[in-house]
Amino acid sequence: MPSSSLAPILRVDRLSYCYPGSHPALRDVSFELGLNESIGLVGPNGAGKTTLLLHLNGLLPGELGAAAPRRQSAADRRDSGGSVITSDVARGATIEVLGMPVTAATLPEVRRVVGFLFQNPDDQLFCSTVLDDVAFGPLNLGFPADEVRRRVANCLAAVGLAGLEGRGTHELSFGERRRVCLAGVLACEPSLLALDEPSSNLDPRARRGFIEVLRQCPAAKIIASHDLELVLELCTRVVVLDQGRLQADGNAHDVLSDDNLMQSHGLEVPLSIRYGQRLAEPGK
Amino acid sequence: MSPEFLDRFSRGNTICHRLPVRLKIVLTLAAILAAALIPISAWPVHGCLACVLFAAHSVAEIPVAYLVRRVGFVMPLVCGLAFAVPLGDGLANALPAAAAIAVRSVLSLLAGLWLVNVTPFDRLLAGLQRCGMPRGIAAMLAFMYRYTFVVFDELAKMRAARRARTFSSRGAWREWSAAAQLLGRLLIRSLDRAERIHSAMCARGWDGRIRALE
Repeated sequence: MPSSSLAPILRVDRLSYCYPGSHPALRDVSFELGLNESIGLVGPNGAGKTTLLLHLNGLLPGELGAAAPRRQSAADRRDSGGSVITSDVARGATIEVLGMPVTAATLPEVRRVVGFLFQNPDDQLFCSTVLDDVAFGPLNLGFPADEVRRRVANCLAAVGLAGLEGRGTHELSFGERRRVCLAGVLACEPSLLALDEPSSNLDPRARRGFIEVLRQCPAAKIIASHDLELVLELCTRVVVLDQGRLQADGNAHDVLSDDNLMQSHGLEVPLSIRYGQRLAEPGK
Repeated sequence: MSPEFLDRFSRGNTICHRLPVRLKIVLTLAAILAAALIPISAWPVHGCLACVLFAAHSVAEIPVAYLVRRVGFVMPLVCGLAFAVPLGDGLANALPAAAAIAVRSVLSLLAGLWLVNVTPFDRLLAGLQRCGMPRGIAAMLAFMYRYTFVVFDELAKMRAARRARTFSSRGAWREWSAAAQLLGRLLIRSLDRAERIHSAMCARGWDGRIRALE
């Protein structure tokens, strides 16, 4: 595994998950992510990509099937946001972020370390002005007002939207909304970015701009996407997920250029590889 | 209909828009209290109040046509109340009482419309909070305002999708039942969305307390 020499920022070990009343969404998924590593999470629709990302932030209660889950105390199971977390440590499955197991007790710290960009900006932009929305995270982290304002200004500048604080979130274009979402995540200064379909529904110019913004972010990244060219540009490593199982894990270029592997999991070799016109060096 | 309809003129730049927010809140409350409390027998006072309100709207450059449509929107409710409530006292007294309810409602509504159309909603909420409105209520109103736009958008898309596959009118009953199904779907979608929003809030460290930048 390419990350073994570095201390992992994320370790997922034998994670399984089943949505209530549905078939298993994740089965026995294990992988590690090194500091400053960027990993692409690819696979067909319904492969479990979003489910996996939600686990990294402790957003899904891990009900881990019939095999006698280890009980936590009632106080432990209630996370601070009010939802009930059942044990993720059942059946020996663990998720560790910077060495901390993701449990109800560590959730505030885990959510500070892991920044989550949701697929639909309208789900994430819940405040009526850009300023309030980007300030939401830092305020929850308890920073004083002037530090919050500084962070908001910096993060809006980082995503190329400096000075948009006063705008209403419903007045923005789709691309701007996604950038504001990213600014809101960056304002918490996460060490790991979990990005769910960061380029979906963007026009080519907005997509290009967004890729460049992501490239500038120093945080480690885990990017779930169908946009394999984006994955190839931003990620050193690729994990293929299908039917809830890890199907492949390796160097981005090697995995994405494996025609048989791609075809059998509803993917295709990116055109830039197929035609030998690589847009960028892999891993840069 | 677009939700912009609710406060279409709130970002104007007239003297009304530039007044301090708290002053506007106090003026509006005063107008509503006057409309509600002054005896209806003193009808010239109500007439004066109506004139003042219309003057305020015209200074704020809010068109009369807009006001008429906006008031017309709630008239069924107002009329329903105006005729249902006094009937308990017998028919003889019903008409003056109904007129009183209708006049008071319309005047209060005009005052409220003036307030939301001369103050951007986020500033109005900040003003209300400084007047002592609890943060929880302010947060609820802010969410309502934010997602009114999204839900209306979604409704418009669903209606367009339905129309795209409706080839002939199939009678009023079918229309109504299709509309009911549409609203049901919208409710379910909105509940799903509420869950995702909750996740998004938790992901950015929300712990149940609402904080605001002052």
